[in-house]
Amino acid sequence: MLLDALLARRLLILSGKGGVGKSVVGAALATAAHTRGKRVLLVEIDAARDAALLLGGRAGDGTETEIRAGLSTVNLRPPAVMDEYVRETVKVDLLARRILGSPIYRRFFAAAPGLAELMTLGKIMVLEEARDRWSRRPRYDLVVVDAPATGHGLQMLQVPLAASAAVPVGPVGANARRILAMLRDPKRTALVLVAIPEEMAVVEAVELHRAATTGVGIDVAGLVLNGCHERRLTPAQETEVRRLIAEGAGGRIGRVSLPAALAAARRHLRRRKLTAFYERRLAAALPLPLVRLPFLFEEEPGPEAIGYLAERLAEA
Amino acid sequence: MSRPTRASAPLAAALEDRRVLVVAGAGGVGKTTTAAALGLQAALLGRRALVCTIDPSPRLATSLGLDRLSDRPRALSLTGLRGRGGAMWAMTIDTKRTFDALVDRHAPDERSRRRILDNRFYQQVSGALAGSHEYMAMEKLLDLAADERFDLVVLDTPPTRHALDFLEAPDRLMGFLDAGVLRWFLKPYFVAGRLTLKVATRTGALAMRVVDRYLGLQFLQDLSEFFLAFEGLYDGFKERAARVHALLREPGSGFVVVASPAEPALEEAVYFHRRLAEKGMPFVSFVVNRVRTDPARERQPRSGAGPTPAVSADLARRLGGLLADQQTLARIDATRIARLEVDTREPIVCVPELESDVHDLHGLRAVGDAILG
Repeated sequence: MLLDALLARRLLILSGKGGVGKSVVGAALATAAHTRGKRVLLVEIDAARDAALLLGGRAGDGTETEIRAGLSTVNLRPPAVMDEYVRETVKVDLLARRILGSPIYRRFFAAAPGLAELMTLGKIMVLEEARDRWSRRPRYDLVVVDAPATGHGLQMLQVPLAASAAVPVGPVGANARRILAMLRDPKRTALVLVAIPEEMAVVEAVELHRAATTGVGIDVAGLVLNGCHERRLTPAQETEVRRLIAEGAGGRIGRVSLPAALAAARRHLRRRKLTAFYERRLAAALPLPLVRLPFLFEEEPGPEAIGYLAERLAEA
Repeated sequence: MSRPTRASAPLAAALEDRRVLVVAGAGGVGKTTTAAALGLQAALLGRRALVCTIDPSPRLATSLGLDRLSDRPRALSLTGLRGRGGAMWAMTIDTKRTFDALVDRHAPDERSRRRILDNRFYQQVSGALAGSHEYMAMEKLLDLAADERFDLVVLDTPPTRHALDFLEAPDRLMGFLDAGVLRWFLKPYFVAGRLTLKVATRTGALAMRVVDRYLGLQFLQDLSEFFLAFEGLYDGFKERAARVHALLREPGSGFVVVASPAEPALEEAVYFHRRLAEKGMPFVSFVVNRVRTDPARERQPRSGAGPTPAVSADLARRLGGLLADQQTLARIDATRIARLEVDTREPIVCVPELESDVHDLHGLRAVGDAILG
């Protein structure tokens, strides 16, 4: 149900505290949409690791890379996006190169507040609006953006509003207003919050929701609670395990020591409790459809793990 | 994986004798909590410690069990924590207000002060200028380090994408404000107030035309006024920046680099460590948070003392699965931390994943106890 609601939009922006697994959730969401027959572009912004790797492709070069038919990724580097903008604006190659090489450009444009964010959002808008050359139909049905972690992600979303106020005239102001209109159109764009069952991540998700809805005016469509610990023992077994822990049971089960296994079980039960606790808290604080994704006991989630998470999203 | 106590010895010593501790690291690794926990430990050791964060979201406040912090040091009650009679303060930095104060301090006269504070560009950007969070954190540090009330300042760093931004961003801000570069570039606009392109080079003129076409003349006027107004302040800024860098190089200062066992966070930590060495800034210790441990290698309270019960085959299988999963995580983390040790040859304090979330001073104390082992 949540997936259906999300796939009705054209632009989904994932945001949440750093370390909650936004890239993994983004890759899973893109995969789930692709499985439903959508042509999907997964956008990352200055990601240390290319999401293409999560999807079984090779790291891209900053341009759109097709992983398989209908599923592409791009890792946008804001300075490169800005350079591209200058090249397209100036058109004359030699002059463009001179400008790009000048210290003024490097110092001013690189440090100008919000300019990189604005250009990056502009690039996302261009990608969302891109059409096939001959058929003229949209190149992508859905663009999924793995936004930077909360502080920076929110700052990025606030830039168009600030820019349209600061630069009321000229193409930049006009672009800022167009980007803002895109972000504020609930038929087109939605924000998806990502959290894990931990205090800080939950607090930030709630703050982000408030800032996004009241500040930017962007529709928040759902919440992904990632890293949930799921039931591994039956209720009767949980009771038994609690009793064994309380008794300080010893001995072995097969090749492993029972106390060690019980310690593992105790951690598991605690994680389960925290998962339930934070899920309740989020449900109480945010009027949003919530989907749980399981914690993965893996070093680096690969395409298989992403495929599994995508299935879980589709079930939600 | 519990490490021998000596791993935390340099950090413990730093809490006793340093005057400034900068807690740096990539976002999302528990940096703020670590900073607050270290500040509290120092206070419990008898020092007068201030923990200072500039996080835009009130994370430290949450850790400290407060609704909000202010940009003035606020004393915390350590009652019930049984320390050695120290004291603790916490505060956040309001980037905009610090920037305003900086303008106040360096403006040669009231007219130029107002010219900046009233400038539209300034109003829009003083809180958002690339590097301004970092610059203002450093700026504030200078005042706080000189404040007699505190004998230790623990500075949490902004939630930058990359840990390194904290060291580099102020330079970028200075580069941006460097009137020397921009004055010739923008002055014609300001002076003429119309589209004149009498700039030194053709490239400059062209860049100017692009800027004008895309940003508009009014914006350029605000901008050039901003830079002209800053001309008189620039030297003062630069001098303060140099003093901060000098302060950070003093032996009384130190950097604690926080990471999590996630690969990108560890890579950041290694890189940051190298840059500190290059800049001649004293490194104290790594703190790796949320290290997953092997339950089989931990002493369990009262375990094994009781009966040796019969367990059903199904439960045994499931328990075995839970243990194996956690051992996988522990192995992953141990391998990564071993690599950090090989790469840097520095003390690494590993903090196991905690039994409970931190949201008050008692939880924070538990974190500190875990850090110092």
